[in-house]
Amino acid sequence: MIFKKKESNFTKISTVVFILVIVIIDVVPILLIVSNSFKPSLDIKTLPPNIIFNPTLKHFKTVLSSGNFDIYFKNSLIVATITTAISIIVGIFGAYGLWLARYSKWGRKVSDFILLGKLVPSITILIPLNMLLYSVKLNGTYVGPILAHSSVNLPFVIWLILGFIKQLPAGLYESAQLEGASTIRILVSIFVPLLLPAIGSAFILSMQYSWNELLFSLQLTSMDTYTLPVGIARSVGAVAIDWGRGCASATIAMLPIIIIGFIMQKYFIAGMTAGAIKE
Amino acid sequence: MPVVFLMPTIVVVLLVMIFPLIYGIFISLFDYHIGMKITSDSFVGLENYKALLYDKVLHRAFLNTVLFALLANLGELTFGTLISLTLLKCKKGIADFVRGLCTMPLLVSPIITGFIWKYMFDPSFGLVYWILGFFGIDSSEFPGLGKPTTALLCVAFTHWWQITPFVVLVVTSGLLSIPEERLEAANLDGASGIELFFLIMLPALKNVYYVVLIISGVDTIKVFDLIYALTQGGPANSTLSLSIYSFREAFEVYHMGYAMAVSVFLMITAFIIFGLPFIHANSSQEE
Repeated sequence: MIFKKKESNFTKISTVVFILVIVIIDVVPILLIVSNSFKPSLDIKTLPPNIIFNPTLKHFKTVLSSGNFDIYFKNSLIVATITTAISIIVGIFGAYGLWLARYSKWGRKVSDFILLGKLVPSITILIPLNMLLYSVKLNGTYVGPILAHSSVNLPFVIWLILGFIKQLPAGLYESAQLEGASTIRILVSIFVPLLLPAIGSAFILSMQYSWNELLFSLQLTSMDTYTLPVGIARSVGAVAIDWGRGCASATIAMLPIIIIGFIMQKYFIAGMTAGAIKE
Repeated sequence: MPVVFLMPTIVVVLLVMIFPLIYGIFISLFDYHIGMKITSDSFVGLENYKALLYDKVLHRAFLNTVLFALLANLGELTFGTLISLTLLKCKKGIADFVRGLCTMPLLVSPIITGFIWKYMFDPSFGLVYWILGFFGIDSSEFPGLGKPTTALLCVAFTHWWQITPFVVLVVTSGLLSIPEERLEAANLDGASGIELFFLIMLPALKNVYYVVLIISGVDTIKVFDLIYALTQGGPANSTLSLSIYSFREAFEVYHMGYAMAVSVFLMITAFIIFGLPFIHANSSQEE
């Protein structure tokens, strides 16, 4: 532990209170929305929030039957899965390529500046991409969001995996080469198995991005291909919000990714903190 | 050989980043509305960019965006550091549990985060006002999302809620990477907690803050989803960000050329604030 000094009871108590407040602020808003989705409409607008209520599935039924959220769910799943697959496969190759080129000047430059792609705002790409997709008649299909999400994810995935490759034991590549393994074989049968933790991190991070992304999907999809965030944006933007429906659709959209995130928490945190402590 | 492996990446980046970007900059040189053909008649050169200089709404959006980025990042770095320092004083089991809970807001879509806090900030049934009520504050004293004076602050608060956990995770891993001996030596020298923080931890966290700003700080300049859910840029443009403004011009007024100029301006802003320091640090590292 970093602090070793004896503490007074006062600091101890205030520490506990502080942590408690943080946890409450962190968790209560989410729990409130989830519980609202099971409440009768009138109970949603009470202060303080009712903890005891007659649970109902009414909101879920409307959201799924007339709200099309079952279709949005399927669309989100398709877009997020394909995006993640593309980001990881292309990302592994890209990172490996950059690692092989680590002694050349351009290789180092590219890997140093790969994160600069983050500086290009989504809206700057969205406007022309939307027009380009329109001219090849691919607007409103899954192609738009998948391409856009992949291009945003890719630099980050490469950066993440490259960081892990650099930590692999030195000489691994050379000794495999001496035994006659080809470059591609070394990648597939030696590097990839060792990189599984990094791939786990890349998986959960790119799933989370694509599942949650709004701006690209908002404009590049059409009625049949709306993803969950688009569906929610359309209902939140309405003049009079139906809070029951809103809470039910928010619950449908956020619970799956929160659950996957919790199951893969180790990889999620590792991915989030990668690079923070390099050197 | 390395180039072969990089080929798929190059194709994706060229196709989805570079080519649209060049095309977009090209469009920004035209007085182009959707449905029109791009002809030499509609070529206006740098007129769209000149118009930015006189557009009062754009100036407002620029100020909002920079102010939001400042508020969001300062708040997140301060609270994030404070929370992770406090957690390091706790028992490991408790600290790990709290950090686990911390990942929850990070997994929630920004559009849903906006929805959640729109509910929390509602003047008639929002939990925020119920709590403020204990301190004798009502919606006339703190108008929340409803009035220009406080709306941007509420949007920034919502961003803190979502992103502070990220800073907690990253700062914690940064603090844990400080060699134990160094802290011990300082402890033996009788350094106070505050001295310990400013002399040893803060310098060690420099690189961490840097990564935080590049990975999540950049996103504050491009903020869209949160505002789209919370205020749509209102009231009275007080939360209008450059992304929202550009989106409106492009997809509500269909003024593509001008929208593109606004978004290029946004990109340059992001580059000056976050890109130049990054390049500077990278090149000084190599020397």
